[in-house]
Amino acid sequence: MSAALFYLASLIALCGAAGVILAKSAMGSVISLLASFFALAVIYLLAGFQFMAAAQILVYAGAILVLFLFVIMLLNLGALGTKFELSFAPFQSARAKLACAIAVGLGLIGLIAAQRASLPESVAQASAEPIDSVHNLALALFGRYSLPFQAVSVLLLVTMVAVMVLAKRKRVGKGNEQ
Amino acid sequence: MQDVPELVIWIAKIVLIFGGMIATAAIMSLAERKVSAWMQYRYGPNRVGPFGLLQPLADGVKFIFKEELIPAGANKLLFRLAPALAAMPSMLTIAVIPIGTTAVIGGREIPLGIAQLDIGIMYMLAIGGLGVYGVILGGWASNSKYSMLGGLRAAAQMISYELTLILSILAIVALSGSLDLNEIVASQREIGDWNICTPMGVLAFVLFTIASFAETNRHPFDFAECEPELVGGFHTEYSAMRFALYFIGEYCAMTVMSSLNATLFFGGPSVPFMPDAHWALGVLAFLIKAGFFLFLFIWVRWTLPRLRFDQLMRLGWRVMLPLALFNLLATGAWIAFTGDH
Amino acid sequence: MVVVQRKELTLLERLYLPEVVRGLSITFRKFFEKPITRQYPEQPLPKDAVTRGQPRLVVKDDGNIACVACGMCEVACPAYAITIDGGETDRGIEREPKRFDIDMLRCILCGFCEEACPKDAIFMSDELELADFSRAALLYDIEKLKRPKSTLQKRIDYVYKLNNRWRRAP
Repeated sequence: MSAALFYLASLIALCGAAGVILAKSAMGSVISLLASFFALAVIYLLAGFQFMAAAQILVYAGAILVLFLFVIMLLNLGALGTKFELSFAPFQSARAKLACAIAVGLGLIGLIAAQRASLPESVAQASAEPIDSVHNLALALFGRYSLPFQAVSVLLLVTMVAVMVLAKRKRVGKGNEQ
Repeated sequence: MQDVPELVIWIAKIVLIFGGMIATAAIMSLAERKVSAWMQYRYGPNRVGPFGLLQPLADGVKFIFKEELIPAGANKLLFRLAPALAAMPSMLTIAVIPIGTTAVIGGREIPLGIAQLDIGIMYMLAIGGLGVYGVILGGWASNSKYSMLGGLRAAAQMISYELTLILSILAIVALSGSLDLNEIVASQREIGDWNICTPMGVLAFVLFTIASFAETNRHPFDFAECEPELVGGFHTEYSAMRFALYFIGEYCAMTVMSSLNATLFFGGPSVPFMPDAHWALGVLAFLIKAGFFLFLFIWVRWTLPRLRFDQLMRLGWRVMLPLALFNLLATGAWIAFTGDH
Repeated sequence: MVVVQRKELTLLERLYLPEVVRGLSITFRKFFEKPITRQYPEQPLPKDAVTRGQPRLVVKDDGNIACVACGMCEVACPAYAITIDGGETDRGIEREPKRFDIDMLRCILCGFCEEACPKDAIFMSDELELADFSRAALLYDIEKLKRPKSTLQKRIDYVYKLNNRWRRAP
């Protein structure tokens, strides 16, 4: 039962991921991504990580993707089209082929690494501890892995600031840059 | 009673609670019109059945037999899917709400709630947050300017107020020390223990109530519809049962939010001054509390005018969010210094 | 130029919530007040001489119709709702309508026919309800328009009072 569910969820996740890059319209991509996120949440649930599953839906499906939708709706509707079709056109260029090759290679490396459990010592230990309940998850995040957890938040902050700097428009003409 | 299989009890619970919510949605559609009428020196619908009580039935029949229109250029798949997406999340979230403590029937203990989840409130927020998809996709798929603007507004509004909603709930979670709604209820057995009786609880309650109005797209925050500007907002192009689904979804969301309000701040099924009351009395207490908040939804709708969109955003980001953050911080400080939940 | 001065709000008003509660209390009090709605078919509208309903033809006390088919109302009618075919009669007045139709779907209840009539033959009655299942049924002929003078007397008296500048006393 759970094995069948796992394979079904994995299939949906993969199809969704493929749909994200193959869909002609941006809206199609977003819907595919949504399906992929949900399938991932199901896989988390099957693995016993209830909190992760809920966080996955809450953060990714409930907040981030809604923002994506918001932006897409502000784009030109006529140019996007309202039909859902697949297109392989983006994969014709040499650069895209190279990117695909690299992505697939990295994915393979990750798979092999997971298979051989050749992970760093601390991470291997973490997976040995049960972090299924909220209490244990909190203990792990704010106790043992407090520093990495805080570092990640700093990373996010840095990313945000970087985006602001990159996206800021330079004022041309008046002479005074802001 | 001892030898009834677990599955039968489960199905009975689902039928009762889920059916109760759908019935509540039907009654609310009548109550909305009746209460608004009474507040405006009117009678309200009183032709179908005694006191107009059969009006929801008549409305239902009308919705079923009306023609379903799909606008030209609409994305047919999403257009058909969106109303279901709008109605489903709120129907799913009722599963984790404990409508009573533990019923004892024929010597068997039955927890009154469809599901007992460790992460009850997380599940609720995660699934409840998906309701916005129905509105956005419905607005986009209609291929109409008004629908689109309604969908856009819904997206902006729901993202803004969901933060406040979650932060105000987090304060209560911190006070009760659990994400499980059953434990949150268990921690407020007596009226003195109700979360509303703490200073942070009061602020969280006010923030939660306002945010829940915005989350369910109700007055004074119903920008996704906004008749004077957007005809019907996101559901301009919808007709017949698909339109009705949006309404059922809205009323179900109101029911869930009211239940959550009663559960988080008013002890859910806890009866004031009778901590050891019979479980049936507890269910009654819960229904009365949730019913009051349902009434509040209607009451506010027919009292307050709609805000302007910039006012809505300013209120959300510059007033509600800082207050919610401050509340969470104060709750943390309270727990740290007093040392108890 | 009109300068609108915004009222300075006090702190309590700017906090908004107390004012919301005040508004809620107002609507809650209205909750218990008696509705002012009229339950229409059961409680009909009040009618008086001023009620300007559908036009009706006067039947005099001797049983004859007062109309002489002069066509004044037909001309006065802004909606072209009236159609009259006159004909001879043995009575002393020599002419009477053979056909007098009012298309009630066109009639706008303006009362011009009442003002135009030189023979006090057409008056606006207090009949207001107009609904049927076909257009043909709403094309009123002479039989449907006839009313005894006594039923229209209140309106007749009122019109005389209203227009006594140019009408003789009855």
